[in-house]
Amino acid sequence: MRQPSFDWTQGPAIPVVSVLFALVLGGLFVWISGHDPIQAYAALFRGAFGSPYDVSETLVIAVPLLLAGLSVAVAFRAGLFNIGAQGQLLVGAVAAGWVGALWPDLPGILLLPLTLAAGVLGGAAYGGIAGWLKAARGVNEVITTIMQNYTIVFVMHWLLQNGPMQAPNAFGTPASAPIGAGAILPIVLPDFLVPSSRLHAGIVLALLATLGFWFLLWRTSLGYELRAVGLGMRAAAQAGIDPRKRMVIVMAIAGGFAGLAGMIQVSGLFHRVYDGFSAGFGFDAIAVALLGKNTPVGVLLSALLFAAFSRGGTLMQSDAEISSHLVEIVEALVLFVIAAETVVRAVARRWGRPVKAAS
Amino acid sequence: MKRLLAFALMTMTVAAACGGGAGTASPSPSAAATSAAPSKTAAPTAAAVKVGLVTDVGGLNDKSFNALANQGRLDAEKDLKVQTSVTESKKQEDYVPNLTNYAQQKYDLVIAVGFLMTNATWKVAKQFPDVKFAIIDGAPANDKGDTENLPNVANLFFKEQEAGYLVGVIAATMAKNKVGKATHNTVCSMGGIPIPPVDRYIAGYQDAVKTVSPTTTILNGYSNDFVDQAKGKEVGLNHISKNCDILFQVAGASGLGYIQAAKDKGVYAIGVDADQAYVAPGTVLTSALKRVNKAVYDTIKAVVNKTFKAGDNSFNATNDGVGYGTLDPAVPADAKAAADKALADIKSGKITPKDAVQVK
Repeated sequence: MRQPSFDWTQGPAIPVVSVLFALVLGGLFVWISGHDPIQAYAALFRGAFGSPYDVSETLVIAVPLLLAGLSVAVAFRAGLFNIGAQGQLLVGAVAAGWVGALWPDLPGILLLPLTLAAGVLGGAAYGGIAGWLKAARGVNEVITTIMQNYTIVFVMHWLLQNGPMQAPNAFGTPASAPIGAGAILPIVLPDFLVPSSRLHAGIVLALLATLGFWFLLWRTSLGYELRAVGLGMRAAAQAGIDPRKRMVIVMAIAGGFAGLAGMIQVSGLFHRVYDGFSAGFGFDAIAVALLGKNTPVGVLLSALLFAAFSRGGTLMQSDAEISSHLVEIVEALVLFVIAAETVVRAVARRWGRPVKAAS
Repeated sequence: MKRLLAFALMTMTVAAACGGGAGTASPSPSAAATSAAPSKTAAPTAAAVKVGLVTDVGGLNDKSFNALANQGRLDAEKDLKVQTSVTESKKQEDYVPNLTNYAQQKYDLVIAVGFLMTNATWKVAKQFPDVKFAIIDGAPANDKGDTENLPNVANLFFKEQEAGYLVGVIAATMAKNKVGKATHNTVCSMGGIPIPPVDRYIAGYQDAVKTVSPTTTILNGYSNDFVDQAKGKEVGLNHISKNCDILFQVAGASGLGYIQAAKDKGVYAIGVDADQAYVAPGTVLTSALKRVNKAVYDTIKAVVNKTFKAGDNSFNATNDGVGYGTLDPAVPADAKAAADKALADIKSGKITPKDAVQVK
């Protein structure tokens, strides 16, 4: 086959079509359940973007989704499937929560970078383990990262339920001691602009990380090597790139992104670590990366979309009395359509041939 | 070129599908109008009180705590002509925005379901002093974790140990007399996570067993989860392997797995919060009831009648805030009689069930 001048399957067409398709199908579910889909989606939209406060809340959710999405995406670029963003996020949160509370009286200029480093390095180390197991022992990273997700959850139970990290006076719930004031990310929207906004400086960090993701993959030789490994491991090895070494590095980078997400949830939102912390972001992140086609802009946009679904879905329930689980159906449908991309491609090629023959 | 053409074709097909979807959907408002948002269309009277309920991460289908609170909301909507709405929280991150959402819309009463929202309620209630809040199973807690009562927050507490005591009496009587499948003189309990409301149930249960039948072996465990049934089942199977034949669950939806284990292995279970007899008839002996619906209903009523009381509000055996549920036919008459006597004794103050867990 000749090289096509324009390959629409590489552009935004498939993600956009997937989302539209999922929305239409989701609307059908709303209709079957006896509600008005237009009203439902209007409530969803209002919930996500209806007021400045709603927008700021949507962004609060988008921040961890974006970072965890970058974590999954960077691994995808190197041909690895990182299911472990959730676990890496939790390790980052635990590390940040621990360091942030260790020296609560340190000034912010010291404590914030320390907390940040703890979160990123914690996540990176955890991700790196999966990379190393794959490189040294050939253990599939899908298996190890799934297992790691469970491991950290149970480690957190131990740490926080009458364990070494539980604060003596933490609402009686399993939670750690609060981090020092210096480790807290400031709120970026002042009260006179958006009253009681929770949007914190984590959004700046997340955007910088997105820029870093782009720079790493497309402007550094390491990024070139990672993408080469992702495109074809044997070819990369032939070209003198040791894929095994890159596996460890890329899983550590992936873990670093997710760890940053965990650190930001601690420093920006909770100011401590809870048992049952930030459930599910790391799993939604897989959808975010897939929908965003592992590109920086794509991941950014799909993180926003999923955040809007999440925020809007809650409001859809209170305003239109439609179960917020509908949103989960739509999210699943998006994934479903994306997963069917190969089928769509095959169908599109089929369609293409007779057209050429006829012309 | 052919790809462009294919793309155009695809787009047209999808557009057609979208159009079709919208077309089939548009006649629905007639159907939807009847079912959608009854509370909105229920023609609120001039000064209809607006009540918003925020669930914790257990969600509305936990067949327990959140479901009961929602029942209280629906009952109040029907009886008291109030306008109500509910929001399910999916993550701990959601508590503050969900509460804030109602407060911003100037709801009269915002109810936070669950102990996990003490800090979130404190934060939001402080920002909206004109809105009344109620929190089930907790009191507002500031960022340090200290309880800080606020003039606009009612803390709805339950004496779970009293409900735990009542079902404990039934369990102990049956274990002592080796009734039916309870042949090993061993009773167990499983909490979700060891937080005070959970542990109060277990404490009352253990207190009753120790009082009624000192020779009975007691085991306790935690599933470390309020949602995952698999974890509850795992603990249940483990307890049964250690000869437990009466299993008391205090773990929300996770506890349904604990009951399932009892059902699978042919032993008895005891439900919690709601009447869970229907979950597994023949297995569930009874349930330790915590009438969250009553607490929600009474609090809404207090707002309507302008008798809202901030600070601690206690729901206990005396005001029917707690009790025991439907009894399975497997429960013998003497066990029921013993439970009823214990209930009377608690009401008269003759018995004060312990609220600290003895067997961890």
